[in-house]
Amino acid sequence: MNPMRGIDVDRLVQPDRVHSHVYTDLTIFEEEIERIFTQGWIFVGHEGEIPVPGDFRQRTMARQPVIFVRDQHGGVQLLMNRCTHRANAVCHLERGNQPAFTCPYHGWRFKLDGELAVVPFAERFPEDFDRSALGLRSVPRVEAHRGFVFASLNPDVCPLKDHLGPLVMQELDDIADLSPEGGIDVTAGYHRLRYAGNWKLQVENAIDGYHANFTHRTHMDNVRFRTGFDPAPLTSSAAPARIHALGNGHCRWDSSSLNKSGTRAFPGKTPDPGAWEIYLDAMIAAHGKERTDYLLSKQGSHLYIFPNFSYTGAHFRLFQPVAPDETRVTLFPFLLKGAPREVNRKRLRVHETFFGPAGGGQSDDLEIFERNQVGLGASLDPWSLLTRGVHLEQQEADGSVSNQITDELSNRTIWAKWKQMMGEGAMA
Amino acid sequence: MTIMLERPHASLRERVADFLFDEAEIADAHRYEDWLGLWGQDAFYWMPCNDDDIDPDMHVALIHEDRMGLEDRIRRLSSGFAHTQQPRSRISRVISHIRCGELEEGLVEVRSVFNLTAFRRDRFEIFAGRQIHVLRPVENRFEIVRKTVYLVNNDGYMSNMTFLI
Repeated sequence: MNPMRGIDVDRLVQPDRVHSHVYTDLTIFEEEIERIFTQGWIFVGHEGEIPVPGDFRQRTMARQPVIFVRDQHGGVQLLMNRCTHRANAVCHLERGNQPAFTCPYHGWRFKLDGELAVVPFAERFPEDFDRSALGLRSVPRVEAHRGFVFASLNPDVCPLKDHLGPLVMQELDDIADLSPEGGIDVTAGYHRLRYAGNWKLQVENAIDGYHANFTHRTHMDNVRFRTGFDPAPLTSSAAPARIHALGNGHCRWDSSSLNKSGTRAFPGKTPDPGAWEIYLDAMIAAHGKERTDYLLSKQGSHLYIFPNFSYTGAHFRLFQPVAPDETRVTLFPFLLKGAPREVNRKRLRVHETFFGPAGGGQSDDLEIFERNQVGLGASLDPWSLLTRGVHLEQQEADGSVSNQITDELSNRTIWAKWKQMMGEGAMA
Repeated sequence: MTIMLERPHASLRERVADFLFDEAEIADAHRYEDWLGLWGQDAFYWMPCNDDDIDPDMHVALIHEDRMGLEDRIRRLSSGFAHTQQPRSRISRVISHIRCGELEEGLVEVRSVFNLTAFRRDRFEIFAGRQIHVLRPVENRFEIVRKTVYLVNNDGYMSNMTFLI
């Protein structure tokens, strides 16, 4: 138990506003690392990144180095990247494929599932030296849904399905089922970004319809120029699109109304009709016409899973807090297994247009986050408002709560979860 | 200013060096339309991500643009609403180690390295790497058919890279 040192969560996070300190204060940040990123579930990667034994990726959990690896038996492991002898990192490449992890310091060699296989000159250790107890330490809880892997350093954390809830699991099903084979391929690389701002600025932006017409004006103008279609009304206060709170701080932006109008259909960025027909036929054969129509209408929807996962159509993201004013974000553009190469190729091209450090959209988001961190330094009125649409929330039949796409329901549901995890006794 | 026009008898290597220096000066000055004017209609601009040796088709890139993509990039930067370039990055690059060879159909391949310093909002950043231009002689000048930029940090965590590289 790590007691909050004089942090008054009820004052800092109120139903209609939050205090600047939640984005700037080092003590609060350290508590977040402990309570949210150590004690709770976090997203760590996708099984499709490491399809064959020996494939590995370096990741961090709560700033700790871990190896995300496909072991010799085909299982997915999360191992602490620390030799059990004298703490040297046993994996020093960002990603790759290896038959084992060998510590470069004294030659200890670990199998892909962490088992200690070789200890050079072992006869000099005392008699009670127990090699079987000195495997690489496994992250205590690792669970997946449709290949999306979540983990916790807390052995007593609730089951993953209770953290995600049925509505989020359905959303992950809908992402995976964009593949006619029901699986995604995550071997197309990563965009890796950093910004000088708090991690929750990216969190809140993941489901924020209000910013689109202003932050991304240049993108809207380019769409209008290329297609003759003005996308701005789709993210105005008159748009039919909705935000849904899915429970536990998770939320979704339903952009099916945007899709129908083809906002993302840049000329040259849509697959050839022939390839698209092949994909459609395969989807209908796999999922039926009705579900295929539903899945494709949702392309481009946004999903946020508390605390560090989001999905934006062409990719999903992992957020990594580094310091109160330093955040890393990894983007995972993914391919659809069983879809024609042409369809997958164009998914990457659409992604690159908007996303990444040189893209024409997300770069402006990062700029806005950095300006946000500057503004948060002004203390005379230290409050950020969360009231937009609060009086217009609707209870939906599926158990979610909804709001118009430019409303701030997503912010409110995220902060309610944050407060629950950061409040007194939350870890008791 | 196009120096190469003043040196019609220069060697191929001198002429491509002049072209690269012109391009560098135009890019450093954020002369967006002039930069777009250096490219051919069949332009392809590629900046791989994560590694140099990746499949341009099936691996995500930092930049993967044809002529239309370049035009969209320039229109956006020229609009005054690209927040990442309000204010603009102050940039200065050095081009060196220029070597060239003639390809078929009169095209010229030019290999060079660059070191670019960017300064914005009190933060210095360095972008360095090597680049390969494929140039087509057109009348008294060259146009860029293909440009590939291999950044040394293309697998690092990157922030704003929206000026012209």
